[in-house]
Amino acid sequence: MSRPELRTPSAPRRSVRLSRPARANLVALPLLIVVGLVWVYPFLWIVAGAFKTQNGLFTGGASLIPDQWNFDNFRRAWVDAGFSRYLFNTVLYAVASTLIELFKSALCGYVLARYEFPGRKLLHRLIVATLFVPVASIIIPQFVLVDRLGLLNTRAGVVLAMSGAAGALYVLLFVGFFSGVPKDLFDAAKLDGAGFLRTFRLVLPLAKPVIAVVVIFQFITNWNEFNIPLVFTLGQPDLQNLAVGMLSFKGEHSVDWTGFAAGMTLSVIPMLIVFIFFQSYFVRGLAGATKE
Amino acid sequence: MTLAPTGPRPPDAAPTTAARPRRAAFRSRPGRPPEGNRERARGRDRLWVAAFLGPFLLLYLGFTLWPLIATVYYSFFEWSGTGPPEQFVGGDNYSRLLGDPLFWQAVVNTLLFAIGTTLIKLPLSLLAALVMTRKWLRAKKALRTVFFAPLIIPVAMAGLVFTYLLNPSNGALNSALHGLGLTDGTTDVFANRWTALLALILISVWQVFGQYMIYWMAALQNVPDELYEAAALDGASEWQKLTRITLPMIRPVAVVIVMLALVNAMHVFGLVVTLTGGGPGTSTYVVSYFIYRQAFGSLPFAYGYASAAALLFSVMAFVLVTSQGLFVRRAQRLRKEYGV
Repeated sequence: MSRPELRTPSAPRRSVRLSRPARANLVALPLLIVVGLVWVYPFLWIVAGAFKTQNGLFTGGASLIPDQWNFDNFRRAWVDAGFSRYLFNTVLYAVASTLIELFKSALCGYVLARYEFPGRKLLHRLIVATLFVPVASIIIPQFVLVDRLGLLNTRAGVVLAMSGAAGALYVLLFVGFFSGVPKDLFDAAKLDGAGFLRTFRLVLPLAKPVIAVVVIFQFITNWNEFNIPLVFTLGQPDLQNLAVGMLSFKGEHSVDWTGFAAGMTLSVIPMLIVFIFFQSYFVRGLAGATKE
Repeated sequence: MTLAPTGPRPPDAAPTTAARPRRAAFRSRPGRPPEGNRERARGRDRLWVAAFLGPFLLLYLGFTLWPLIATVYYSFFEWSGTGPPEQFVGGDNYSRLLGDPLFWQAVVNTLLFAIGTTLIKLPLSLLAALVMTRKWLRAKKALRTVFFAPLIIPVAMAGLVFTYLLNPSNGALNSALHGLGLTDGTTDVFANRWTALLALILISVWQVFGQYMIYWMAALQNVPDELYEAAALDGASEWQKLTRITLPMIRPVAVVIVMLALVNAMHVFGLVVTLTGGGPGTSTYVVSYFIYRQAFGSLPFAYGYASAAALLFSVMAFVLVTSQGLFVRRAQRLRKEYGV
């Protein structure tokens, strides 16, 4: 690095210290960029494939340059393959179950942290004990339950199963957070004559870091959820989300790869934007939440 | 966000008192004993407590507790899902299961997968997190997005993309290897159990890497800066700072991250369905896929048998996770010593 201001006559040691970050960047950045390119290669392949013709895709090998700019893939994916429907279902499932998840775990976490009531300890212990129950191992009774409720092969059934299964971890995050809110705050609220609901509304905004973690985490999980939508919509392909619906591209004798690539491109972009927008909340929120 | 005063307030509650505890709430989160905070609900508040617990309890009972109990119950029946389970078979499902080579193969594959992905993704993501939290590094945001990006592709879709990229006739991997003159360009990674498992592991690492990187970054952010400053004053090298401060400080969180990694890996399902379908043959079956095939895959549905498998699997997962209990307790002790 030959930045002129570094070669000031002040002290040679100083100039070495100053240029160290630059040198470190010079080593680390190219390495990270190469790894990063490998990392995003499948993405680039998908986006390139979305514009390729079937023929161009088959003969293209690892190439990322489309043989021609073909927009027919998008139309086919969106209209013929029902991509718009899968996307709608995915967004609906992800948003609805994230909201339910947030709602129930924030309320429960608040009460567990703040109030003493019979069975509180038992409930807390149960939640910890069931933190690591694999979804796959309890899906049969869940299936039976949703069936009995008459919600099998309905959107409500999928949402219910998705938001019902998880959540123990989030309750614990909220318990951890609300336990740490100083008592003075609640006393002050009481002095102000704030009732139960008002006090809750007062401290809830403080839990923003935890809320951010729950929302982002659960949204991504729900967006990618495969097992539950697959099992709960076995008789109703119309209700599948993207993850499951994608299988229909594979099911037949030949796979419409370029249509698939176009569909993926369309479905990945909204999530990418969401992530880029929220990513700093995510790291900070997680840092705040794990501090407990 | 506003703490508007309502009604008359005692004179000593000057306008600033409302703001003070709020600021304190941000600062003094850690270290407070939770016991001091709780109070007994009185009067109408009791109804509120019940109402707040309601939604969670309802879903928790319906979708976690009852299913756990029901799984135990079903596992003693021969049941195909029509009508209530009536044909009690005692421990038959279990004895059949213990003698079922496919189940054991699925268990072995699941464990190999869980341990393999954990061993690869955790050290690498920690390394990445260490680099990504350096103050001098440029383009952090862009790099973070790059490593996180695979997470936003639904698992099953990622699986499909890789079946193409890895396919033996014209996939990207083969054309790249062929172009470099390393192979004849017809390598089929999914034709063999071990390469297929390896592919599953590596693709899974690719997919969830960013999540664990962010966990580590969060853990690293919680190490107080003052420690590094003090160490720098004492002339500690970067390596010493890493091994003497960073790693011991993040150990409590590391235990949790390892547990999450193991358990999440044991759930593996979508990748297997789309990448290998359990194949070649049945050689890459994992437990969740085994359960799915038994319960929903082919007529007649074997709910009882699948439930027995699910229960055995849960017990195994539980043992694997709690065998870390020792570490956890040790880590908690350490955590107290450091006051984090």
